[in-house]
Amino acid sequence: MTAIKLKKFLYSNTHIAPLAFFRIAFGAVLCITSIRFIAHGWVKDFYTTPVFHFPFYGFEWVTVLSPAGMYGLYAGMVLGALMICTGLYYRIGAILFWLCFVYAEMIDKTYYLNHYYLVSVLVFLLIFVPANRYFSLDILRKPGLKKTMVPAWTINIFKCQLAIIYIYAGLSKVNADWLIHAMPLQLWLPANQFIPVLGKWLAFPATAIIFSWCGMLFDLSIVFLLLNRRTRVVAYMLVIIFHVLTAILFQIGMFPWIMLAATTVFFSAHFHLRVLRAVSFLWPSLRRGDAEQGYHSSSFFKRAGVFLLACYFLVQLLLPIRFLLFPGKLLWTEEGYRFSWRVMLMEKGGTTFFYVTDPATGRRFEVNNREFITGYQERMMETQPDMMLQYAKLLQQEYRKKGIQNAKVQVESYVTLNGSGSRLFIDSSVNLAAQKETLFGHKKWILPYHP
Amino acid sequence: MKHKTTALLSALAAAAIIILFSCSKNNSDNPNQPASAVDSALVNIGTNIILVSYQDLAAKTTAMDAAVTAFVQTPDASKLASAQAAFKAAYLSWQTCSEYEFGPAADQSLATNTINVFPTDTAIIKNNISSGNYTIDGIGNLKAQGFPALDFLLFSTDNNSALSRFTTDAAATNAKKYLSAVAVSLKAKAAATLAAWTGTYISTFKNATGVNAGSSLSLLVNALVYDYDVVLKTYKLGIPFGKFGATAVPQVPAKVEAYYSGISLQLMIQQVKALQNIYLGATGYGLDDKIIASKAQKNGVPLNDVIVAQFNTLLVKLNALSDPLAAAIVSNNTGVGDAYTEAGKLVVLLKVDLSSALGIKISFQDDDGD
Repeated sequence: MTAIKLKKFLYSNTHIAPLAFFRIAFGAVLCITSIRFIAHGWVKDFYTTPVFHFPFYGFEWVTVLSPAGMYGLYAGMVLGALMICTGLYYRIGAILFWLCFVYAEMIDKTYYLNHYYLVSVLVFLLIFVPANRYFSLDILRKPGLKKTMVPAWTINIFKCQLAIIYIYAGLSKVNADWLIHAMPLQLWLPANQFIPVLGKWLAFPATAIIFSWCGMLFDLSIVFLLLNRRTRVVAYMLVIIFHVLTAILFQIGMFPWIMLAATTVFFSAHFHLRVLRAVSFLWPSLRRGDAEQGYHSSSFFKRAGVFLLACYFLVQLLLPIRFLLFPGKLLWTEEGYRFSWRVMLMEKGGTTFFYVTDPATGRRFEVNNREFITGYQERMMETQPDMMLQYAKLLQQEYRKKGIQNAKVQVESYVTLNGSGSRLFIDSSVNLAAQKETLFGHKKWILPYHP
Repeated sequence: MKHKTTALLSALAAAAIIILFSCSKNNSDNPNQPASAVDSALVNIGTNIILVSYQDLAAKTTAMDAAVTAFVQTPDASKLASAQAAFKAAYLSWQTCSEYEFGPAADQSLATNTINVFPTDTAIIKNNISSGNYTIDGIGNLKAQGFPALDFLLFSTDNNSALSRFTTDAAATNAKKYLSAVAVSLKAKAAATLAAWTGTYISTFKNATGVNAGSSLSLLVNALVYDYDVVLKTYKLGIPFGKFGATAVPQVPAKVEAYYSGISLQLMIQQVKALQNIYLGATGYGLDDKIIASKAQKNGVPLNDVIVAQFNTLLVKLNALSDPLAAAIVSNNTGVGDAYTEAGKLVVLLKVDLSSALGIKISFQDDDGD
């Protein structure tokens, strides 16, 4: 029974239209995102201006490129996104975008955002599906490539991925902070009380509670509502309301628009066909010959595919719960926080007073962080222990150049989390420069959170 | 079964949306709720504090320029004294404007890192005067202009040598030109900034509500946290007191602000009072009202009480010292140390507690958000 269901889920023939539409919509958003990034001058601000960066553990070899190289990387993203969107040399485009994007994101964890991770995950999946076999420039180029039917897995993997995202995002909201204390919305919503129409409701404590509960219910239920044919239209309206609301209220960049584009994958082939046909007057030759032509996964995929997919989704399922390996409050320590679809869950602010001691003279002095890192890097570092550790090592290395061997680096750090009020965050007696980063080891020098 | 689940879930979602709108309406008589779509704090701070501060600075720098002009026409001891007095008044006025390094001030370079770079570079100033060849607002001249340059030129070590620089010195003519040029530049920047604020920026400021990057509150709180944390705590107090720097001698009193005129503490106290005034909104709506509304706490005490108390504690510690600060750093280690400790506590309150309670991100770069 289950085996049959699984086989149907993976290999039943289904129309390619949802995949083609997804490719076009998502590719367009990626293109806008990349151009926007360059246009805002962020390549310069984030990569060219800073002298130091905070690489991810194990990926220290991913280093910033020359300014020309960085702009090249982003130009590669624009080009790759265009190739995805139009379906021209599609697979090369997807690989190009993914490599450029992931490289840029790995340079500095300061800029880590859940939505960047989302992009890297979805584009990774796009590499493996034949999304260019319909309604694309590739089929104009080589009509023989055209297929109308694909195995169901090529579309279902995106639904699975989105399901994981929404449901983990929803589960992470099932806690007292979010549901009972309405944190951090209680702090964030009143700031918007002067916007037109909606603003006047936002200062009420009750509004924050309602928004919190609605957000949690939305995240947990939306995938099921989108999957069900009868609730789908209502569900997509909820998707629009939810994401547009977040776009109005919070500074979350392209995330709402990415989700609006991505969730269209839940719609039926019938719907997507109608849309594609409606817009195909732009390019009549795309309509020619819609006879049914099946796409067959390579026999390699048929054999290895299930296993590979299972591995991929197992990782996706496990990453968000790796926090269980660490003691303490996740939002406080942030051990296992990234790559786990925890979005907009905390209002966290901090400040650090770093002290360097010269072991030879015993002289202890304070560090002006801005001499080494940018304000943005400093802000992210000041609430994230793993970045403090990297920064301490950076200070030791920089002061070695200035003639201090084995400088001792200590930090007096104050952090507030979801309105807790600032309190000491790190054991200020510990020499951070002597501590080691590990993959799954708890940082014992983070002081425990007491509510 | 599956249909039932989805039907149930969609009913739940729909109910939630309905509750969202209906509940909100029930609360419309909440007394805490400002009725208008205007942020009273922005209106009050913009109109009654920032604008007034810039008006004062424009007036004081104009008066200073007039006093300097009178002095260079007939340099004598009494005209020097009045130029010095006008300088002190303008420098004090600047302390109530240094908190607003955004919008017009940023456009006009009326900023700490352009007009208040201390210690001033006396070598560049002397070289400029002897060569007569310089661009007063040039990028290489930041350490040789603004208030610190005037501080050096008008005071130097004692009144006699300051006077002789403009009378008997071989380069006296050039020195007078240089003095005027610095005063004129300050006057021009203050006037241009005031003009921009009274022109369109005041309404831009009032209308940019919210806390996203570019909102007035985000700009204001970021600017004042920088002005307090970096400018006051680090540069005015920490560095001269020897808290920073591996190789520096433990204390560098010559690095205080206003080293030559010796009014460092007076200026610093004025700056703290200006920050306090913004926080309290003078007598009207201020950041304090927002903090009170947020119900933020610190160790079980209302955050507003803690911030108000810490401003006062810091002022008590600063008032316990006496100018010149450069001398106090050497002679009153304990007193300056106490002030520095209390200054650090206020950094945490402003940068962490206050900003977080308002949902403002410090060092807020416009970015993609989460």
